[in-house]
Amino acid sequence: MTKKKPVNARSLFFPIMMALTVLLAACSSGNGNEESSPSATTETATPTSSASASPSASETPAAEDGLYSINDFSNVKKNEGEAIKGGSITFGLVSDTPFEGTLNFNFYSGDPDSQVLSWFDEGLLTWDKSYVYTNDGAATYEVSEDGKTFTFTIRDNVNWQDGKPVTAEDWLFAHEVIGNPKYDGPRYDSNFTNIVGMAEYHDGKAKTISGIEVLSEKKLKITYIQSTPSLLTGGVWSYPLAKHIFGVMDVAKISASPEVREKPIGFGPFKVKSIVPGESVVFEKNPDYWRGEPALDEVVLKVINPTTIVQQLETGGVDLVDSFPVDQYPDNATLSNVEFLGTIDRAYTYMGFKLGKWDAEAGKVVPDAKAKMGDVNLRKAMWLAVDNDQVGKKFYHGLRWNATTLIPPSHPEYHDSTNPGVAYDPEMANKILDDAGYKMDGKFRTNPDGSELVINFISMTGGDIAQPLAQYYVQSWQAIGLNVQLEMVEFNSFYDRVGANGEDDPKVDVYQGAWSVGIDVDPSGLYGKDAIYNFPRYESAENDRLLAEGISEKAFDVKVRQDIYKQWQKLMVDEIPVFPTLYRAVLAPVNKRILNYAIGDGTNLYPYQIAVSQDKPFVKE
Amino acid sequence: MDKAPIPISSAKQPTAKQPNKSPSGWKIIWREIVRDKVAFISLIFLCLVILSVFGISLVLDQEQIVSVDLFSLKQPPSEQFWLGTDYGGRDVFGQLIIGTRNSLSIGIIVTVLTGLIGVLVGLVSGYFGGTVDNIFMRFVDFFMILPTLMIVIAFVTAVPKYSIVSFSLIMTAFLWMGIARLIRSKALQEKEMDYVQASRTLGSSNLKIMLVQVLPNLSSIIIVTMTLNLAANIGLESGLSFLGFGFPESTPSLGTLVSYATDPQTLESRWWIWLPASLLILVLMLSINNVGQALKRATDARQRKG
Repeated sequence: MTKKKPVNARSLFFPIMMALTVLLAACSSGNGNEESSPSATTETATPTSSASASPSASETPAAEDGLYSINDFSNVKKNEGEAIKGGSITFGLVSDTPFEGTLNFNFYSGDPDSQVLSWFDEGLLTWDKSYVYTNDGAATYEVSEDGKTFTFTIRDNVNWQDGKPVTAEDWLFAHEVIGNPKYDGPRYDSNFTNIVGMAEYHDGKAKTISGIEVLSEKKLKITYIQSTPSLLTGGVWSYPLAKHIFGVMDVAKISASPEVREKPIGFGPFKVKSIVPGESVVFEKNPDYWRGEPALDEVVLKVINPTTIVQQLETGGVDLVDSFPVDQYPDNATLSNVEFLGTIDRAYTYMGFKLGKWDAEAGKVVPDAKAKMGDVNLRKAMWLAVDNDQVGKKFYHGLRWNATTLIPPSHPEYHDSTNPGVAYDPEMANKILDDAGYKMDGKFRTNPDGSELVINFISMTGGDIAQPLAQYYVQSWQAIGLNVQLEMVEFNSFYDRVGANGEDDPKVDVYQGAWSVGIDVDPSGLYGKDAIYNFPRYESAENDRLLAEGISEKAFDVKVRQDIYKQWQKLMVDEIPVFPTLYRAVLAPVNKRILNYAIGDGTNLYPYQIAVSQDKPFVKE
Repeated sequence: MDKAPIPISSAKQPTAKQPNKSPSGWKIIWREIVRDKVAFISLIFLCLVILSVFGISLVLDQEQIVSVDLFSLKQPPSEQFWLGTDYGGRDVFGQLIIGTRNSLSIGIIVTVLTGLIGVLVGLVSGYFGGTVDNIFMRFVDFFMILPTLMIVIAFVTAVPKYSIVSFSLIMTAFLWMGIARLIRSKALQEKEMDYVQASRTLGSSNLKIMLVQVLPNLSSIIIVTMTLNLAANIGLESGLSFLGFGFPESTPSLGTLVSYATDPQTLESRWWIWLPASLLILVLMLSINNVGQALKRATDARQRKG
């Protein structure tokens, strides 16, 4: 399934920390920097998402017109100089709050924790540039003819950092803990209920999970109820839990145990040496790492405040950070001691229209035919009225750009680049409104029936640009005669009012939100009729059909699946329950002494390969 | 007891037909300010700022100034934008004028309102004393122990939309106690004076004694406190806006302009956004305080310069 969380309109790094943590599925290691998996078939490290990885790509993309393009960024660090033996690097976790410190993939819920985790632990399976599981990871897999049974084999040299082997038993144990009714983490979801016998186990009707079978010490077989293409893109739970440590504990107490909080364990390239809770972690290398001995001796992770990133980078206080606010980029593009890596973010900003309510008991959306925003002409006019192209250029210097469909280009196989979306055309917007009967009455238009039309628009605070950006949209809508009232709301109460708890605020008509999408393209978690995160509360038969087809067996054929999602993207552009406004770039500045480093998926680089060319970081000249 | 008539030479006695007239309160104040060069310049500066800010803001179009202009983001000062633009493409000079007007208006409204309430409560409480005083002072005590700033912040967050007036009212509700205490203690002293006793003996009503006889004698202290409060209130408003609990960006104030400086880029490389507002706050505060100090001296014969 997908990993998704609401993100703040301005920048990705800040909100994820505060993002509704329940939504973060564990497949998020793909979000981590170096956890990306290689693809056996890709001979070079060309990233999927970033078009230009050519070595000739200029170091600091030139921008005479003040504009930058993500295509000018490489997601792979250029190597300069020879690697020295050992060395220590500092990783900056950009956050203005401490990290929570639930340091186990089976229990963590926030992105900061996953950043910490990805240094010392990893999933058994890795995926390629199109997010499909590969056989290059710590475990290999085989799928049965009918696509329902997976047989996994863990490599012999994969051991926990205390020397004990990672076994099939540990993998089963992770499933048992997550399926246990006393489990207090956010992982038990449709990926688990899709395992044969899991629901019975969860309800206490069965002692074991009938669909999971330990074949030998290193072999595990899992049978799923329904075969879907999503299984191959993040649908398998691939994080084992060390049974020899946690097996003796009460399930409800594992997440608070010292083995999760203070001396966590994994089988990744580095192991935790010491932790200052919420502030910093020191990792030392794990010489027995299964891929090989790591090049670095030590990695220091520390939390740094977003406002001091630039200073820290300039002085070499940190070598690399997990993300960088794009609006600070133009002023720092020429930092002499760092190289900026960039890739397309699996995220988009969008404008949502409230079209109904959430029925908590039935667990599905209830569209309201009389909703204020119910008229597709009105919604279309609002899309036509905003100039996202200019917004991206002016506010984000081209590092966010006009979005066209609801599947972002970070999924190049499914993003329909031939669909132009709806382009800026205020005259057309006026015409559509005139034709639909929204007459001008004084300064603003009325409803076709002559009643007053006041549209309440809410947007998130946070970040410099949030307010002027929201205000720009309001001005654009007022320019076509719509009386839109803006209210700026703080992040958490924003999602409360939009309906993250199912209690929609009836006073909200339009909202500006953002989604970070999972590695699997299936959007039903966001737009399905039974998804609580379907904030517009939109439902249609065609939508249901396409979403179901997208994860049906016939969608195993990539061509068929592409076509289904092409249709779905078109449907969304026609019906406009929400419209995408901007796609985003992720930027990651890296000190020039770092070698063998990349961000994004589908590179051939792993954290154990990271090395440095000199002892001390370069400082700004 | 000596039942002699009220000493007619008392400087505090408002007598119009005094032949050997001692200077009136206003004259003393004026003389004091003119003698003190710094205070005099401050006063002139204050008057200029107030007049120009309120004057210019009459011709400025606030809606146009706070509207976002995509094509002129973050511009340095130029002929079109005297103080450049902010990250929303909004003219900083216009925001500065309107922001100063808003901050000043709030400061003045809050000062006047807190002054009115404080004087009323203090006067009644001090003049009557006893039970009335007790009740009033317990009220004041209650308000005083409240964590004022926190409550103002909570109020501002809870009220989704507020105007200059409602914002001022929220602030007033928690800021009137200091002045009430002060006036009450002065009124307690004053009511023991012989002229009050005499007036009472002659049958004047309490209301008349309070408003016509006691109040004028307290006027100097009221003026001084309110002047100094004005500076404090402008500072409080700017502080709240700076922290993000004041006005939204669509209603500029000095605080919102200064708060742009929390962005390191703006702080380092775009001084024109925050420096003028910061300087203006500094100079305004200094001026008001200078004038206030002069006024304070004027009320105390031992400290006077002239």
